[in-house]
Amino acid sequence: MNGRRFAGWTVSVICALLAVYPSNRLLAQHVAIGPQVVFGDYREVSADLQYRGAGMGAAATFTWKKLSADVALSKVKYKPSKDGTATQEFDASELDVRLRYYVTGPVSAELGFVNRKADPEFEAQSVGAVTAGARMAYLLGPGVRMNLHGGLMFGPKFSGGGKVSALGALELGLGMTVDALRGRVRFTGDYGFQRLTRKTDDGSGEVNVPIQQSLGRLGVAVVF
Amino acid sequence: MRRAVLLTLGVLLLPLPAAAQGTPAPVQNATLRRAIQAYDNLDFAQVVTIANQALRERLTSSERARAYELLGFAYSATGQPDQAINSFKETILLDPDRELDPGRVSPRISGYFNAALGQVMVVRLLGADSSQFIAGQGFVPVRYTVTSRARVRARAVSGQTSVLLDSSITVGQVNLRWTARLPNGDPVPAGTYTIVVEATAGQNSFSTSRQLRVAHGAVDTLPHLTSLPGYTYLPETEVPPKSWRPMGLALVYTGVALAGTSALSSGDLGSASLREAGTVGAGVVLAGFIMTLRKPAPQPARGNILYNQLLREQIARRNAEIAQENQRRRQQVAISVVPLARPGSGR
Repeated sequence: MNGRRFAGWTVSVICALLAVYPSNRLLAQHVAIGPQVVFGDYREVSADLQYRGAGMGAAATFTWKKLSADVALSKVKYKPSKDGTATQEFDASELDVRLRYYVTGPVSAELGFVNRKADPEFEAQSVGAVTAGARMAYLLGPGVRMNLHGGLMFGPKFSGGGKVSALGALELGLGMTVDALRGRVRFTGDYGFQRLTRKTDDGSGEVNVPIQQSLGRLGVAVVF
Repeated sequence: MRRAVLLTLGVLLLPLPAAAQGTPAPVQNATLRRAIQAYDNLDFAQVVTIANQALRERLTSSERARAYELLGFAYSATGQPDQAINSFKETILLDPDRELDPGRVSPRISGYFNAALGQVMVVRLLGADSSQFIAGQGFVPVRYTVTSRARVRARAVSGQTSVLLDSSITVGQVNLRWTARLPNGDPVPAGTYTIVVEATAGQNSFSTSRQLRVAHGAVDTLPHLTSLPGYTYLPETEVPPKSWRPMGLALVYTGVALAGTSALSSGDLGSASLREAGTVGAGVVLAGFIMTLRKPAPQPARGNILYNQLLREQIARRNAEIAQENQRRRQQVAISVVPLARPGSGR
Protein backbone atom coordinates (compact mmCIF):
# COMPACT_ATOMS: atom_id res chain seq x y z
CA MET A 1 0.00 0.00 0.00
CA ASN A 2 2.88 2.31 0.87
CA GLY A 3 4.56 1.46 -2.43
CA ARG A 4 1.52 2.42 -4.44
CA ARG A 5 1.31 5.76 -2.66
CA PHE A 6 5.01 6.38 -3.30
CA ALA A 7 4.76 5.49 -6.95
CA GLY A 8 1.68 7.64 -7.41
CA TRP A 9 3.45 10.59 -5.82
CA THR A 10 6.45 10.21 -8.13
CA VAL A 11 4.24 10.00 -11.20
CA SER A 12 2.46 13.16 -10.12
CA VAL A 13 5.73 15.07 -9.69
CA ILE A 14 7.05 14.05 -13.11
CA CYS A 15 3.74 14.81 -14.80
CA ALA A 16 3.73 18.22 -13.16
CA LEU A 17 7.29 18.89 -14.39
CA LEU A 18 6.38 17.92 -17.92
CA ALA A 19 3.23 20.03 -17.78
CA VAL A 20 5.12 23.09 -16.52
CA TYR A 21 7.79 22.73 -19.19
CA PRO A 22 6.87 24.84 -22.25
CA SER A 23 5.34 22.54 -24.81
CA ASN A 24 6.73 24.48 -27.77
CA ARG A 25 10.27 23.93 -26.55
CA LEU A 26 9.55 20.27 -26.11
CA LEU A 27 8.22 20.06 -29.63
CA ALA A 28 11.34 21.77 -30.86
CA GLN A 29 13.32 18.76 -29.73
CA HIS A 30 13.18 15.11 -30.70
CA VAL A 31 10.02 13.39 -29.62
CA ALA A 32 9.22 9.81 -30.54
CA ILE A 33 6.03 8.05 -29.64
CA GLY A 34 4.46 4.83 -30.78
CA PRO A 35 2.85 1.46 -29.92
CA GLN A 36 4.64 -1.68 -28.90
CA VAL A 37 4.04 -5.41 -28.76
CA VAL A 38 5.06 -6.72 -25.37
CA PHE A 39 5.88 -10.25 -24.32
CA GLY A 40 7.29 -11.48 -21.06
CA ASP A 41 8.13 -14.12 -18.52
CA TYR A 42 7.16 -13.70 -14.87
CA ARG A 43 8.21 -15.85 -11.93
CA GLU A 44 7.55 -15.51 -8.26
CA VAL A 45 8.34 -17.44 -5.06
CA SER A 46 9.50 -20.66 -6.68
CA ALA A 47 10.17 -22.33 -10.02
CA ASP A 48 6.63 -23.67 -10.01
CA LEU A 49 5.06 -20.25 -10.18
CA GLN A 50 5.83 -19.30 -13.75
CA TYR A 51 3.84 -17.16 -16.15
CA ARG A 52 4.26 -16.22 -19.73
CA GLY A 53 2.27 -13.68 -21.60
CA ALA A 54 1.93 -11.01 -24.22
CA GLY A 55 0.20 -7.72 -24.59
CA MET A 56 0.33 -4.24 -25.89
CA GLY A 57 2.15 -1.15 -24.83
CA ALA A 58 3.24 2.30 -25.81
CA ALA A 59 6.47 4.17 -25.41
CA ALA A 60 7.52 7.76 -25.74
CA THR A 61 10.99 9.28 -25.83
CA PHE A 62 11.90 12.92 -25.36
CA THR A 63 15.35 14.23 -26.09
CA TRP A 64 16.65 17.69 -25.25
CA LYS A 65 20.34 18.45 -25.38
CA LYS A 66 22.02 16.09 -22.89
CA LEU A 67 18.77 15.14 -21.28
CA SER A 68 16.34 12.51 -22.43
CA ALA A 69 13.37 10.75 -20.93
CA ASP A 70 11.69 7.44 -21.69
CA VAL A 71 8.17 6.59 -20.67
CA ALA A 72 6.91 3.08 -21.37
CA LEU A 73 3.45 1.72 -20.60
CA SER A 74 2.53 -1.92 -21.02
CA LYS A 75 -0.19 -4.31 -20.18
CA VAL A 76 0.64 -8.01 -20.35
CA LYS A 77 -1.75 -10.85 -19.80
CA TYR A 78 0.30 -13.46 -17.97
CA LYS A 79 -0.88 -17.04 -18.20
CA PRO A 80 0.43 -19.87 -16.04
CA SER A 81 3.12 -21.93 -17.63
CA LYS A 82 2.28 -25.55 -18.43
CA ASP A 83 5.22 -26.70 -16.33
CA GLY A 84 4.14 -24.80 -13.27
CA THR A 85 1.51 -25.17 -10.59
CA ALA A 86 -0.19 -21.80 -11.03
CA THR A 87 -3.72 -21.92 -12.31
CA GLN A 88 -4.91 -18.30 -12.43
CA GLU A 89 -3.85 -15.81 -15.07
CA PHE A 90 -3.46 -12.12 -14.32
CA ASP A 91 -2.81 -8.80 -16.02
CA ALA A 92 0.35 -6.87 -15.26
CA SER A 93 0.17 -3.12 -16.01
CA GLU A 94 3.55 -1.51 -15.85
CA LEU A 95 4.74 2.07 -16.04
CA ASP A 96 8.45 2.56 -16.55
CA VAL A 97 9.83 6.11 -16.48
CA ARG A 98 13.51 6.98 -16.92
CA LEU A 99 15.30 10.31 -16.97
CA ARG A 100 18.69 10.17 -18.57
CA TYR A 101 21.63 12.56 -18.59
CA TYR A 102 24.53 12.15 -20.98
CA VAL A 103 27.80 11.97 -19.07
CA THR A 104 30.63 11.17 -21.44
CA GLY A 105 31.52 8.91 -24.34
CA PRO A 106 28.85 6.25 -24.57
CA VAL A 107 27.79 6.57 -20.92
CA SER A 108 24.63 8.19 -19.58
CA ALA A 109 23.25 8.19 -16.06
CA GLU A 110 19.67 7.10 -15.48
CA LEU A 111 17.16 7.81 -12.77
CA GLY A 112 13.54 6.76 -12.80
CA PHE A 113 10.91 4.60 -11.33
CA VAL A 114 8.92 1.53 -12.15
CA ASN A 115 5.43 0.68 -11.07
CA ARG A 116 3.73 -2.62 -11.87
CA LYS A 117 0.23 -3.53 -10.83
CA ALA A 118 -1.24 -6.99 -10.89
CA ASP A 119 -4.89 -7.62 -11.53
CA PRO A 120 -6.39 -9.54 -9.77
CA GLU A 121 -4.43 -7.95 -6.98
CA PHE A 122 -3.53 -11.12 -5.10
CA GLU A 123 -2.47 -13.27 -8.02
CA ALA A 124 0.91 -11.54 -8.18
CA GLN A 125 2.80 -8.86 -6.36
CA SER A 126 2.36 -5.23 -7.36
CA VAL A 127 5.69 -3.45 -7.19
CA GLY A 128 6.89 0.14 -7.09
CA ALA A 129 10.53 1.18 -6.93
CA VAL A 130 12.93 3.95 -7.81
CA THR A 131 15.59 2.96 -10.33
CA ALA A 132 19.07 4.31 -10.74
CA GLY A 133 21.77 3.09 -13.08
CA ALA A 134 23.84 3.72 -16.12
CA ARG A 135 23.45 3.17 -19.81
CA MET A 136 26.00 2.62 -22.56
CA ALA A 137 24.91 3.46 -26.07
CA TYR A 138 26.66 2.82 -29.34
CA LEU A 139 25.95 3.95 -32.87
CA LEU A 140 26.14 0.84 -35.02
CA GLY A 141 25.64 2.76 -38.23
CA PRO A 142 23.61 5.57 -39.75
CA GLY A 143 20.36 5.66 -37.75
CA VAL A 144 21.01 2.38 -35.95
CA ARG A 145 21.76 2.50 -32.22
CA MET A 146 21.99 -0.07 -29.48
CA ASN A 147 22.25 0.29 -25.77
CA LEU A 148 22.91 -1.73 -22.67
CA HIS A 149 21.77 -0.54 -19.30
CA GLY A 150 21.79 -1.79 -15.76
CA GLY A 151 21.04 -0.51 -12.33
CA LEU A 152 19.55 -0.97 -8.93
CA MET A 153 15.97 -0.65 -7.78
CA PHE A 154 15.81 1.30 -4.57
CA GLY A 155 13.08 1.18 -1.97
CA PRO A 156 10.88 -1.38 -3.62
CA LYS A 157 7.41 -1.66 -2.18
CA PHE A 158 5.22 -4.70 -2.63
CA SER A 159 1.49 -5.06 -2.33
CA GLY A 160 2.01 -8.15 -0.18
CA GLY A 161 4.69 -6.63 1.97
CA GLY A 162 8.25 -7.79 2.32
CA LYS A 163 11.61 -6.24 1.97
CA VAL A 164 14.66 -6.39 -0.21
CA SER A 165 18.29 -6.01 0.75
CA ALA A 166 20.33 -3.08 -0.55
CA LEU A 167 21.66 -4.94 -3.57
CA GLY A 168 18.78 -7.35 -3.87
CA ALA A 169 16.81 -5.56 -6.54
CA LEU A 170 18.57 -5.42 -9.90
CA GLU A 171 17.65 -4.64 -13.42
CA LEU A 172 19.36 -5.17 -16.75
CA GLY A 173 18.34 -4.14 -20.24
CA LEU A 174 19.26 -4.26 -23.89
CA GLY A 175 17.79 -2.05 -26.56
CA MET A 176 18.09 -0.97 -30.13
CA THR A 177 16.52 1.60 -32.42
CA VAL A 178 16.53 1.73 -36.20
CA ASP A 179 15.56 4.99 -37.90
CA ALA A 180 13.71 4.80 -41.18
CA LEU A 181 12.14 7.23 -43.63
CA ARG A 182 14.81 9.82 -43.00
CA GLY A 183 14.37 9.55 -39.28
CA ARG A 184 10.61 10.07 -39.29
CA VAL A 185 9.90 6.51 -38.21
CA ARG A 186 11.80 4.53 -35.64
CA PHE A 187 11.68 0.80 -35.02
CA THR A 188 12.48 -0.18 -31.47
CA GLY A 189 13.37 -3.34 -29.60
CA ASP A 190 13.85 -3.39 -25.84
CA TYR A 191 14.56 -6.06 -23.35
CA GLY A 192 14.26 -5.55 -19.60
CA PHE A 193 15.10 -7.97 -16.82
CA GLN A 194 14.17 -7.41 -13.18
CA ARG A 195 15.11 -9.48 -10.19
CA LEU A 196 13.91 -8.66 -6.71
CA THR A 197 15.19 -10.82 -3.85
CA ARG A 198 12.15 -10.25 -1.71
CA LYS A 199 11.95 -11.64 1.78
CA THR A 200 8.95 -11.87 4.07
CA ASP A 201 8.61 -12.71 7.68
CA ASP A 202 5.37 -14.19 8.91
CA GLY A 203 6.72 -14.56 12.41
CA SER A 204 8.43 -17.87 11.87
CA GLY A 205 11.47 -16.30 10.30
CA GLU A 206 12.45 -14.77 6.97
CA VAL A 207 11.30 -16.55 3.88
CA ASN A 208 12.71 -15.96 0.39
CA VAL A 209 9.98 -15.02 -2.03
CA PRO A 210 11.89 -13.72 -5.06
CA ILE A 211 10.27 -12.01 -8.01
CA GLN A 212 11.73 -12.06 -11.52
CA GLN A 213 10.47 -10.70 -14.81
CA SER A 214 11.86 -10.67 -18.34
CA LEU A 215 10.06 -8.30 -20.66
CA GLY A 216 10.57 -7.84 -24.36
CA ARG A 217 9.10 -4.90 -26.27
CA LEU A 218 9.05 -4.53 -30.04
CA GLY A 219 7.52 -1.40 -31.47
CA VAL A 220 7.45 1.37 -33.95
CA ALA A 221 7.46 5.08 -33.20
CA VAL A 222 6.85 8.28 -35.06
CA VAL A 223 9.54 10.88 -34.58
CA PHE A 224 8.68 14.57 -34.42
CA MET B 1 98.01 73.61 -107.02
CA ARG B 2 96.75 74.98 -103.76
CA ARG B 3 93.29 75.35 -105.27
CA ALA B 4 93.37 71.68 -106.32
CA VAL B 5 94.30 70.58 -102.82
CA LEU B 6 91.51 72.62 -101.29
CA LEU B 7 89.08 71.16 -103.78
CA THR B 8 90.17 67.65 -103.00
CA LEU B 9 89.93 68.35 -99.29
CA GLY B 10 86.49 69.85 -99.81
CA VAL B 11 85.32 66.72 -101.62
CA LEU B 12 86.59 64.56 -98.79
CA LEU B 13 84.86 66.76 -96.24
CA LEU B 14 81.72 67.06 -98.31
CA PRO B 15 78.63 66.17 -96.39
CA LEU B 16 76.05 64.25 -98.33
CA PRO B 17 72.82 66.03 -99.15
CA ALA B 18 70.39 66.23 -96.24
CA ALA B 19 73.18 65.56 -93.81
CA ALA B 20 71.09 67.02 -91.03
CA GLN B 21 69.13 64.47 -89.05
CA GLY B 22 65.49 64.13 -89.97
CA THR B 23 63.74 64.74 -93.25
CA PRO B 24 64.38 68.32 -94.46
CA ALA B 25 61.42 70.46 -95.44
CA PRO B 26 61.06 70.82 -99.25
CA VAL B 27 62.74 73.92 -100.58
CA GLN B 28 60.41 76.28 -102.51
CA ASN B 29 62.81 79.15 -103.17
CA ALA B 30 64.46 78.81 -106.61
CA THR B 31 67.65 80.62 -105.62
CA LEU B 32 68.13 78.32 -102.67
CA ARG B 33 67.55 75.34 -104.93
CA ARG B 34 70.31 76.69 -107.20
CA ALA B 35 72.62 77.00 -104.22
CA ILE B 36 71.91 73.36 -103.30
CA GLN B 37 72.60 72.37 -106.90
CA ALA B 38 75.90 74.25 -106.80
CA TYR B 39 76.79 72.49 -103.54
CA ASP B 40 76.01 69.14 -105.15
CA ASN B 41 78.40 70.17 -107.99
CA LEU B 42 81.08 70.97 -105.41
CA ASP B 43 81.17 74.59 -106.58
CA PHE B 44 81.59 76.08 -103.12
CA ALA B 45 82.26 79.60 -104.34
CA GLN B 46 78.97 79.54 -106.17
CA VAL B 47 77.31 78.10 -103.09
CA VAL B 48 78.47 81.07 -101.00
CA THR B 49 77.36 83.53 -103.62
CA ILE B 50 73.98 82.03 -104.37
CA ALA B 51 73.16 81.22 -100.71
CA ASN B 52 73.88 84.81 -99.68
CA GLN B 53 71.71 85.95 -102.56
CA ALA B 54 68.92 83.66 -101.38
CA LEU B 55 69.21 85.05 -97.85
CA ARG B 56 68.37 88.48 -99.21
CA GLU B 57 65.15 87.05 -100.58
CA ARG B 58 61.94 86.12 -98.77
CA LEU B 59 62.52 82.67 -97.19
CA THR B 60 60.76 80.60 -94.68
CA SER B 61 62.48 79.96 -91.37
CA SER B 62 63.32 76.43 -92.45
CA GLU B 63 64.73 77.64 -95.82
CA ARG B 64 66.73 80.32 -94.08
CA ALA B 65 68.23 77.73 -91.72
CA ARG B 66 69.01 75.54 -94.72
CA ALA B 67 70.74 78.46 -96.50
CA TYR B 68 72.97 79.18 -93.50
CA GLU B 69 73.72 75.46 -93.18
CA LEU B 70 74.88 75.39 -96.84
CA LEU B 71 77.07 78.37 -96.13
CA GLY B 72 78.47 76.60 -93.09
CA PHE B 73 79.28 73.51 -95.15
CA ALA B 74 80.80 75.62 -97.95
CA TYR B 75 82.93 77.70 -95.58
CA SER B 76 84.05 74.49 -93.84
CA ALA B 77 85.01 72.99 -97.18
CA THR B 78 86.97 76.01 -98.17
CA GLY B 79 88.82 76.31 -94.89
CA GLN B 80 87.06 79.35 -93.42
CA PRO B 81 86.21 78.22 -89.89
CA ASP B 82 85.04 81.58 -88.52
CA GLN B 83 82.53 82.06 -91.30
CA ALA B 84 81.48 78.42 -90.97
CA ILE B 85 80.85 78.78 -87.25
CA ASN B 86 78.97 82.03 -87.73
CA SER B 87 76.80 80.39 -90.37
CA PHE B 88 76.10 77.41 -88.12
CA LYS B 89 75.21 79.80 -85.23
CA GLU B 90 72.56 81.36 -87.45
CA THR B 91 71.32 77.88 -88.36
CA ILE B 92 71.06 76.91 -84.68
CA LEU B 93 69.26 80.09 -83.71
CA LEU B 94 66.73 79.49 -86.47
CA ASP B 95 66.36 75.76 -85.75
CA PRO B 96 67.71 74.98 -82.27
CA ASP B 97 66.91 71.26 -82.52
CA ARG B 98 68.89 70.87 -85.75
CA GLU B 99 71.59 68.21 -85.54
CA LEU B 100 74.11 66.90 -87.98
CA ASP B 101 74.32 63.22 -88.64
CA PRO B 102 77.80 62.23 -87.39
CA GLY B 103 77.73 59.25 -89.78
CA ARG B 104 77.37 61.48 -92.82
CA VAL B 105 79.23 64.63 -91.79
CA SER B 106 82.95 64.87 -91.34
CA PRO B 107 84.29 65.35 -87.83
CA ARG B 108 85.70 68.68 -88.90
CA ILE B 109 82.29 70.07 -89.86
CA SER B 110 80.78 68.53 -86.73
CA GLY B 111 83.47 70.30 -84.76
CA TYR B 112 82.56 73.65 -86.30
CA PHE B 113 78.90 72.92 -85.62
CA ASN B 114 79.59 72.06 -81.96
CA ALA B 115 81.71 75.19 -81.64
CA ALA B 116 78.75 77.16 -82.91
CA LEU B 117 76.50 75.45 -80.34
CA GLY B 118 78.79 76.64 -77.57
CA GLN B 119 78.63 80.21 -78.75
CA VAL B 120 74.85 80.59 -78.73
CA MET B 121 72.40 80.34 -75.88
CA VAL B 122 69.44 78.12 -76.80
CA VAL B 123 67.37 75.41 -75.19
CA ARG B 124 67.10 72.46 -77.50
CA LEU B 125 65.84 68.91 -77.68
CA LEU B 126 63.03 69.52 -75.21
CA GLY B 127 61.18 66.26 -74.84
CA ALA B 128 58.90 64.31 -72.55
CA ASP B 129 58.02 60.62 -72.48
CA SER B 130 54.56 59.12 -72.51
CA SER B 131 53.72 58.04 -68.98
CA GLN B 132 50.95 56.44 -67.05
CA PHE B 133 50.97 56.40 -63.27
CA ILE B 134 48.90 56.87 -60.16
CA ALA B 135 48.91 60.45 -58.98
CA GLY B 136 51.54 60.89 -56.33
CA GLN B 137 53.31 57.65 -57.20
CA GLY B 138 54.94 58.47 -60.52
CA PHE B 139 56.24 61.23 -62.75
CA VAL B 140 56.72 62.38 -66.32
CA PRO B 141 60.36 62.39 -67.48
CA VAL B 142 61.18 65.78 -69.06
CA ARG B 143 64.56 66.58 -70.58
CA TYR B 144 66.20 69.37 -72.51
CA THR B 145 69.65 70.69 -73.31
CA VAL B 146 70.95 74.18 -72.57
CA THR B 147 73.86 75.13 -74.84
CA SER B 148 75.32 77.86 -72.55
CA ARG B 149 75.18 78.49 -68.83
CA ALA B 150 71.93 80.28 -68.11
CA ARG B 151 69.15 80.67 -65.58
CA VAL B 152 66.58 78.16 -66.75
CA ARG B 153 62.96 77.99 -65.59
CA ALA B 154 60.74 75.12 -66.66
CA ARG B 155 56.98 75.41 -66.19
CA ALA B 156 53.86 73.44 -67.08
CA VAL B 157 51.12 75.80 -68.20
CA SER B 158 47.48 75.16 -68.95
CA GLY B 159 45.02 78.04 -68.85
CA GLN B 160 45.23 79.59 -65.40
CA THR B 161 47.28 76.68 -64.10
CA SER B 162 51.03 77.18 -64.03
CA VAL B 163 53.26 74.74 -62.19
CA LEU B 164 56.96 75.39 -61.78
CA LEU B 165 59.00 72.31 -62.60
CA ASP B 166 62.48 73.64 -62.04
CA SER B 167 64.47 76.82 -61.77
CA SER B 168 68.24 76.65 -61.77
CA ILE B 169 71.43 77.91 -63.36
CA THR B 170 72.59 75.13 -65.58
CA VAL B 171 74.23 74.06 -68.80
CA GLY B 172 74.15 70.85 -70.75
CA GLN B 173 71.48 68.16 -70.58
CA VAL B 174 68.85 68.52 -67.87
CA ASN B 175 66.55 65.69 -66.75
CA LEU B 176 63.46 66.59 -64.73
CA ARG B 177 60.69 64.60 -63.13
CA TRP B 178 57.29 66.23 -63.34
CA THR B 179 54.97 64.67 -60.75
CA ALA B 180 51.90 66.26 -62.40
CA ARG B 181 50.73 67.62 -59.06
CA LEU B 182 49.67 71.05 -57.97
CA PRO B 183 51.51 72.77 -55.13
CA ASN B 184 48.79 71.59 -52.71
CA GLY B 185 49.47 67.98 -53.69
CA ASP B 186 46.37 67.41 -55.81
CA PRO B 187 46.85 65.98 -59.29
CA VAL B 188 46.82 68.58 -62.05
CA PRO B 189 43.47 68.85 -63.86
CA ALA B 190 43.13 66.98 -67.11
CA GLY B 191 43.83 68.96 -70.27
CA THR B 192 46.54 70.10 -72.63
CA TYR B 193 49.66 71.40 -70.92
CA THR B 194 52.57 73.27 -72.41
CA ILE B 195 55.98 72.63 -70.95
CA VAL B 196 57.72 75.99 -71.29
CA VAL B 197 61.47 76.21 -70.76
CA GLU B 198 62.91 79.73 -70.55
CA ALA B 199 66.63 80.41 -70.43
CA THR B 200 68.10 83.80 -69.51
CA ALA B 201 71.75 84.81 -69.54
CA GLY B 202 72.42 88.53 -69.28
CA GLN B 203 70.54 90.28 -72.04
CA ASN B 204 69.97 87.05 -73.92
CA SER B 205 66.92 84.97 -73.44
CA PHE B 206 65.45 81.99 -75.18
CA SER B 207 62.36 79.88 -74.67
CA THR B 208 60.98 76.71 -76.15
CA SER B 209 57.93 74.64 -75.40
CA ARG B 210 56.38 71.26 -75.84
CA GLN B 211 52.71 70.30 -75.49
CA LEU B 212 51.45 67.34 -73.50
CA ARG B 213 47.97 65.96 -73.05
CA VAL B 214 47.12 64.96 -69.49
CA ALA B 215 44.16 62.62 -69.02
CA HIS B 216 42.60 61.29 -65.84
CA GLY B 217 41.33 57.76 -65.30
CA ALA B 218 40.17 55.46 -62.58
CA VAL B 219 42.68 53.19 -60.90
CA ASP B 220 41.95 49.51 -61.46
CA THR B 221 40.60 47.72 -58.41
CA LEU B 222 41.59 44.24 -57.37
CA PRO B 223 39.10 41.36 -57.67
CA HIS B 224 38.13 39.55 -54.48
CA LEU B 225 39.50 36.08 -53.95
CA THR B 226 37.46 32.92 -53.83
CA SER B 227 40.49 30.71 -53.45
CA LEU B 228 44.19 31.00 -52.86
CA PRO B 229 46.51 29.92 -55.67
CA GLY B 230 47.92 26.51 -54.88
CA TYR B 231 45.41 25.80 -52.12
CA THR B 232 42.12 23.94 -52.51
CA TYR B 233 39.43 23.04 -50.04
CA LEU B 234 39.58 19.48 -48.74
CA PRO B 235 36.52 17.25 -48.22
CA GLU B 236 35.22 17.73 -44.70
CA THR B 237 33.97 14.18 -44.42
CA GLU B 238 35.70 10.93 -45.17
CA VAL B 239 34.46 7.38 -45.37
CA PRO B 240 36.24 5.24 -42.80
CA PRO B 241 37.45 1.79 -43.82
CA LYS B 242 35.00 -1.09 -43.45
CA SER B 243 35.08 -2.53 -39.95
CA TRP B 244 33.72 -5.50 -38.04
CA ARG B 245 33.36 -3.30 -35.00
CA PRO B 246 29.52 -2.94 -35.25
CA MET B 247 29.09 -6.71 -35.42
CA GLY B 248 31.57 -7.27 -32.63
CA LEU B 249 29.96 -4.73 -30.35
CA ALA B 250 26.49 -6.08 -31.09
CA LEU B 251 27.68 -9.52 -30.07
CA VAL B 252 29.29 -8.14 -26.93
CA TYR B 253 26.20 -6.17 -25.90
CA THR B 254 23.92 -9.11 -26.57
CA GLY B 255 26.27 -11.49 -24.82
CA VAL B 256 26.40 -9.27 -21.77
CA ALA B 257 22.60 -9.04 -21.69
CA LEU B 258 22.17 -12.83 -21.99
CA ALA B 259 24.95 -13.65 -19.58
CA GLY B 260 23.76 -10.99 -17.17
CA THR B 261 20.26 -12.39 -17.24
CA SER B 262 21.53 -15.86 -16.51
CA ALA B 263 23.86 -14.68 -13.80
CA LEU B 264 21.38 -12.42 -12.09
CA SER B 265 18.38 -14.68 -12.20
CA SER B 266 17.37 -16.21 -8.90
CA GLY B 267 18.24 -19.85 -8.43
CA ASP B 268 14.98 -20.44 -6.57
CA LEU B 269 13.04 -19.58 -9.72
CA GLY B 270 14.61 -22.12 -12.03
CA SER B 271 16.55 -21.42 -15.17
CA ALA B 272 16.06 -17.94 -16.55
CA SER B 273 13.93 -17.33 -19.61
CA LEU B 274 16.14 -16.15 -22.43
CA ARG B 275 13.31 -15.86 -24.96
CA GLU B 276 12.92 -12.09 -24.52
CA ALA B 277 16.64 -11.33 -24.36
CA GLY B 278 17.27 -13.66 -27.26
CA THR B 279 14.66 -12.01 -29.45
CA VAL B 280 15.92 -8.49 -28.89
CA GLY B 281 19.56 -9.66 -28.94
CA ALA B 282 19.02 -11.37 -32.28
CA GLY B 283 17.75 -8.08 -33.65
CA VAL B 284 20.80 -6.27 -32.29
CA VAL B 285 23.21 -8.81 -33.79
CA LEU B 286 21.38 -8.73 -37.12
CA ALA B 287 21.58 -4.93 -37.15
CA GLY B 288 25.28 -5.10 -36.29
CA PHE B 289 25.87 -7.60 -39.08
CA ILE B 290 24.07 -5.44 -41.63
CA MET B 291 25.95 -2.36 -40.49
CA THR B 292 29.21 -4.24 -40.87
CA LEU B 293 28.36 -5.15 -44.46
CA ARG B 294 27.14 -1.66 -45.33
CA LYS B 295 29.44 1.05 -46.53
CA PRO B 296 30.37 3.08 -43.47
CA ALA B 297 28.80 6.48 -43.12
CA PRO B 298 31.08 9.43 -43.87
CA GLN B 299 32.67 10.80 -40.74
CA PRO B 300 33.83 14.37 -40.16
CA ALA B 301 37.50 14.74 -41.08
CA ARG B 302 38.72 17.01 -38.30
CA GLY B 303 42.07 17.75 -39.92
CA ASN B 304 40.42 18.76 -43.17
CA ILE B 305 37.79 20.81 -41.35
CA LEU B 306 40.53 22.68 -39.51
CA TYR B 307 42.51 23.14 -42.73
CA ASN B 308 39.44 24.50 -44.55
CA GLN B 309 38.70 26.78 -41.63
CA LEU B 310 42.23 28.18 -41.75
CA LEU B 311 41.97 28.56 -45.53
CA ARG B 312 38.65 30.40 -45.22
CA GLU B 313 40.13 32.68 -42.57
CA GLN B 314 43.15 33.37 -44.77
CA ILE B 315 40.96 34.19 -47.78
CA ALA B 316 38.73 36.40 -45.62
CA ARG B 317 41.79 38.20 -44.26
CA ARG B 318 43.17 38.68 -47.77
CA ASN B 319 39.80 39.91 -49.05
CA ALA B 320 39.64 42.39 -46.18
CA GLU B 321 43.04 43.70 -47.26
CA ILE B 322 41.85 43.83 -50.88
CA ALA B 323 38.73 45.74 -49.85
CA GLN B 324 40.90 48.19 -47.94
CA GLU B 325 43.25 48.53 -50.91
CA ASN B 326 40.31 48.99 -53.31
CA GLN B 327 38.83 51.67 -51.07
CA ARG B 328 42.17 53.49 -51.28
CA ARG B 329 42.40 52.98 -55.03
CA ARG B 330 38.93 54.40 -55.61
CA GLN B 331 40.18 57.66 -54.12
CA GLN B 332 43.20 57.70 -56.43
CA VAL B 333 43.56 59.11 -59.97
CA ALA B 334 45.42 57.43 -62.78
CA ILE B 335 47.23 60.00 -64.89
CA SER B 336 48.12 59.44 -68.53
CA VAL B 337 50.51 61.85 -70.22
CA VAL B 338 51.05 61.84 -73.98
CA PRO B 339 53.33 64.33 -75.79
CA LEU B 340 51.58 66.15 -78.65
CA ALA B 341 53.01 67.19 -82.01
CA ARG B 342 55.75 69.77 -81.62
CA PRO B 343 54.52 73.32 -82.08
CA GLY B 344 58.01 74.62 -82.83
CA SER B 345 60.31 76.87 -80.94
CA GLY B 346 60.92 80.56 -80.93
CA ARG B 347 63.30 83.21 -79.85
